Amino acid sequence: MTDKSKGKRQKAKETLLTLAFCLLTYTITSAQWHGYKTPGIPRLPDGSPNLSAPAPKTMDGKPDLSGIWQASRAVFDLAQAVKKGETVPFSAEGKKIFSERRATQSKDDPSARCLPTGLPVRALLRTPFKIIQTPPVMAILYESRTTFRQILTDGRPLPEVDWPAWNGFSVGRWQGDTFVAETAGFNGKPWLDQAGYPASDALKITERFRRRDFGHMDMEMVIDDRKMYTKPWSIFGEFILQADTELIEFICEENERDAAILQGQQR
Amino acid sequence: MKRFSVVGALCIALAPAAVSAHHSFAAQYDATKQVTLQGTITKVEWMNPHAYFYIDVADESGKVVNWAVEGGAPNVLYREGWKPTSLKAGDRVTILGSRARDGSNLVNALSFKLPDGRCVFAGTSGPGGTGTPNCTVGRR
Repeated sequence: MTDKSKGKRQKAKETLLTLAFCLLTYTITSAQWHGYKTPGIPRLPDGSPNLSAPAPKTMDGKPDLSGIWQASRAVFDLAQAVKKGETVPFSAEGKKIFSERRATQSKDDPSARCLPTGLPVRALLRTPFKIIQTPPVMAILYESRTTFRQILTDGRPLPEVDWPAWNGFSVGRWQGDTFVAETAGFNGKPWLDQAGYPASDALKITERFRRRDFGHMDMEMVIDDRKMYTKPWSIFGEFILQADTELIEFICEENERDAAILQGQQR
Repeated sequence: MKRFSVVGALCIALAPAAVSAHHSFAAQYDATKQVTLQGTITKVEWMNPHAYFYIDVADESGKVVNWAVEGGAPNVLYREGWKPTSLKAGDRVTILGSRARDGSNLVNALSFKLPDGRCVFAGTSGPGGTGTPNCTVGRR
């Protein structure tokens, strides 16, 4: 055997070993359904998801928003999610609370104590959420904190609320191909984001979801809280379909140890 | 770091950095006070809301001090390619992190440098939590 052919054989051997290693690694990284190919997803010839395929429809012809989604850009500060050039229209009270929170580095964010995050920032985290669309309800399962919301779509109105809630109460309807969710009845406890944008019990949130195609969905969220802000204002987000994965459990209280030592002042 | 797969770690290194936090970074850590810890992993807590790694580090006099290292949320790390067993007690690593404001032996990890020189993302929510992992102090 010549040196040249020996070299070729050695190279082929190394390639095979590398391929075997990659396959083994793929098996490992496919654990717990992360990597398991989601059925029913249009795919390109190479097997990758075709995110530009048409958005699916339900039996009644409405867009089907079902799937696992994640914001294309993570945001902890809602100022990064408003339209360019726009500012948040604080009321005097809202500005005072926000300024206090900034001055203390958001140390009192209820989220740090594993209490629920506000709906705006929860939508824009770098962790996914899953939408399950059925005729009477649009359910949203958030990986963050393993929490859920249900947006009732059976035609009922928003309720008279005598027991306000962290997540409020949500009803939804279709306006053409846009799904509109209205939420009210908040208890005023969660912050809208980690920066400290406040909310009161007067908060009403309107979300508009539009699935552009199979892999992309746009959201406008209108925040209307006349105690904290002088007029409604909007944040925007884009969600990307997360194929071949599943939600991962997240029990915040499991080993929470930071809240007790958070500090508000620079040293 | 034999337990870190070459491809997996490469994927971590090349993956877009993800951030997730259940609390304000600035309320607990000082991004201007970076420290490099080189030592041996003594314990791993793969738990929510943050993975914790404990590392024995010898100071200049040779005295060994145990540091706590806060990483990202396990779900974020997992999606980046980490596994609960990616690091184990006895592994030698170099960690770049931001020190806790209270002066304790606690850091928020920006990156882990593996024995073979590769630098992997640690899931921080603080400055440097986006972009390519970088294990060099002062460069994020």
